[in-house]
Amino acid sequence: MPCLFVDRVQKAFGGIKALDGASFTIDAGELVGLIGPNGSGKTTMLNILSGHLAPDAGTVALEERPVAGMRPEALARLGVMRMFQLTRVFPRMSALDNLMVAGCALGLEQDEAERRAGRLLADLALAPFAHLDAGHLSGGQMKLLEFGCCLMVPPRIALLDEPFAAVHPTMKEIMAGFIRRRHAERQTFLVVSHDMPVIIELCPRTICMNAGKVIADEDTRAVLTDRAVIEAYLGEAAI
Amino acid sequence: MGSRARIELIVSLAILIVVALVPAFVANEYWRGVLIVSMVFAMLAAAWNLLAGYTGQFSLAPATFGMIGAYTTGLLAYHLETPPILGIPAAVVVAGLIGLVLGRIVLRLRGPYLALTTLSFAEIMRLVISNSIDFTRGDLGLNVPGLFQSRLAYYYLILGALAAVQLGLYWLLQTPVGLYLRAIRDDEIAAASRGVKIVWWKTYAFALSAAISGLAGALYAHFAQLISPELGLISQSGLIISMAVIGGLGTLVGPLGGAFLVYYASEFLRDFGNYQLIAFALLVILFARFFREGLWGLLRRPFERSRPIIAAPSPAE
Amino acid sequence: MLFLDLLSNGLIIGVFYALMAIGLSLIFGILKIVNFAHGEFYMVGAYVYTLTALALGVSPWLALPLAFASGALVGLVVERLLMRPLYAGYGSWSVMKDEYAVIVTFGLSLLLINLVDKFVGPYGYKGPALISTTRIALGPVLMSGHKLIAALIAIGVIVLVALVVRYSFWGRQIQAVAQNRLGASLAGIDPARASAIVFALAGALAAISGALLANIFNPTPDVGVFPAIKSYVIVVLGGMGSVPGSIIASLVLGVLESFGGVYISYQYRDTFGLVILILFLLFRPQGLFGERIREV
Repeated sequence: MPCLFVDRVQKAFGGIKALDGASFTIDAGELVGLIGPNGSGKTTMLNILSGHLAPDAGTVALEERPVAGMRPEALARLGVMRMFQLTRVFPRMSALDNLMVAGCALGLEQDEAERRAGRLLADLALAPFAHLDAGHLSGGQMKLLEFGCCLMVPPRIALLDEPFAAVHPTMKEIMAGFIRRRHAERQTFLVVSHDMPVIIELCPRTICMNAGKVIADEDTRAVLTDRAVIEAYLGEAAI
Repeated sequence: MGSRARIELIVSLAILIVVALVPAFVANEYWRGVLIVSMVFAMLAAAWNLLAGYTGQFSLAPATFGMIGAYTTGLLAYHLETPPILGIPAAVVVAGLIGLVLGRIVLRLRGPYLALTTLSFAEIMRLVISNSIDFTRGDLGLNVPGLFQSRLAYYYLILGALAAVQLGLYWLLQTPVGLYLRAIRDDEIAAASRGVKIVWWKTYAFALSAAISGLAGALYAHFAQLISPELGLISQSGLIISMAVIGGLGTLVGPLGGAFLVYYASEFLRDFGNYQLIAFALLVILFARFFREGLWGLLRRPFERSRPIIAAPSPAE
Repeated sequence: MLFLDLLSNGLIIGVFYALMAIGLSLIFGILKIVNFAHGEFYMVGAYVYTLTALALGVSPWLALPLAFASGALVGLVVERLLMRPLYAGYGSWSVMKDEYAVIVTFGLSLLLINLVDKFVGPYGYKGPALISTTRIALGPVLMSGHKLIAALIAIGVIVLVALVVRYSFWGRQIQAVAQNRLGASLAGIDPARASAIVFALAGALAAISGALLANIFNPTPDVGVFPAIKSYVIVVLGGMGSVPGSIIASLVLGVLESFGGVYISYQYRDTFGLVILILFLLFRPQGLFGERIREV
């Protein structure tokens, strides 16, 4: 039983087709990268997977349960957690409280949520800021915090939208290390990124999208030397 | 949140205790009456603060739900001779239900759109009550039976209600509900993606806020024994909002302290010729512009500075 | 000819509504806020017109531009002093700009109403008419001379403003900032100045409306409250930020109220607009002409 099954998903905005029959399958425990040039439909796909948009056509199934069009809250409770490209934290709540929202909303008891939050903060090197309003954190720290929220209650699949964008190398390391550790514990990840070195290092498998379709879906090294992928990024003349 | 909230609880209790002791020193019935009305406003301000300060829904109709509560118990008494012991709970339920419906209706609205809808709702309600002269006696006013002979009895009844509301809110906000409401206020989209049931909690906040306002209105009705649609004027809502903003939006003590201060000051200034509304309006603007956390926030500042909220990193890190 | 009477009445009142609504719409377009003190700009204009004409003996024709200028001044001052947090970086309100605007303009409205109540007095003075002919026949319809002239002036101002906003140099800047603040600033336009111009213009337009109507609705401290509520309805109906939408919606509302007051209910004629407002906010928040805003 695959963790995530996406089949021929279509989505159009006005006259523009953002997704034009994209399909892929992700099994439990995989760590998959999602790449593609700007406008290829990566963020739209993520929006559909996390419930912020409904597809015009096609199927999305979470462990064989159709979930297309469900609201984000419902999907979160089913175990689909999403990190946003433009970091979203609760600026007027403490870092600890930020994590506790995620924990309690997903069913943890308050004490258990507080314990887990404390441990996560330590793992993410955010412990000194536990009681600081999240709005006062640096950009990278906010990303780490949002990342922590996604993992308070281990989700069926974690969707990370450009988690390494504009982040200090030290924090990139913390996050990458965290992803690796959790992946070793069978946590499923789908990572959207433009940061090729990190994708190569982290993800055994990569999906490449262009113009709303999946144009490559295989071993990461193979994808990066795939003709179609290079063409998508650099145009035909580059070959 | 733990220690900050505990300080607010202690200060709230201190204020309530002081208010409870006042009648021992002040026998003047007029000033006792002023304090009673302040308590009613404190409940209304606390209710609005729950909705706006904690959940981020800036409704412009707090006074309207007070008016609905007052008229529910008043009309029940007037037409059906319902005793207050039934009328007051009925007011809470009716106000709460209307709040539930309104909250459901305005779910998808933010900021100015929400404000405009609640403003329209407030005006419509006021006009309806004002024009239904046969049913409500409109602007002539409706007589409502009293509860006690002595003003002191009203004093402690309403103080008790205020204390219950204040403590109840303190308790509620310590539970995960407090987390959800604040999360919705800070970033609704993020809250949804973390699994918070947006529809449920937003409606809950509206209904609870309305119910508390209804209680305040009903108690006021039996105290003042005469109510009119003027209870629902936009300027009344403005006064309630001012109290919460000046006291400190999004805090527990803010609306409590703000209500007493503002109302007492308004009575005090009445002797100096009606400058009270000008003063409050000015204060609201100043506080909104420069001191978002209100008076409570200002009072806290010297203490915040001396107490570090960032822990020094341990040698191992 | 009751029908023509009601129609012309409705259109005329709609024209005056439009003066207020255009300003409100422009403010929303550029700052994305609803100005809850808009009615007080109207009130300021009504008072300046009436008082300068009655107390200082100035000719009503001179009092009009004075009212216009006073509205512009008040608008400008409000923008400078109070609207900064809306577009200046991180402040404690930066996450809740809409709410800041609600509270601050609400407070401002209370302040202005009570300042006038305290220092000028709560009683209404009748604003002087522009011309003294009390009855002019316009085809089959009779109306007062002042009303006709006032309506003509209002129409003239509206047309002028619409043209300026659409085609002039300043107007294009305002449109640019309304569409994309950051982009406009990168192109060299000063968004702060555009905001200031818009607020001043909105204040002036509302003030002129108050002045022109001072003869019909005597200036009292809260004379602006009802027109303001009407303009909120119109701005949502016509699409927030759309000037032509506001104009059309104003005329529609004016006519609706005129006919509704006679055929449906005179008592509740003020609630028609409010009910329409709620319905639109729920089902078609972009109004008749506005744009849907995307979220994620």
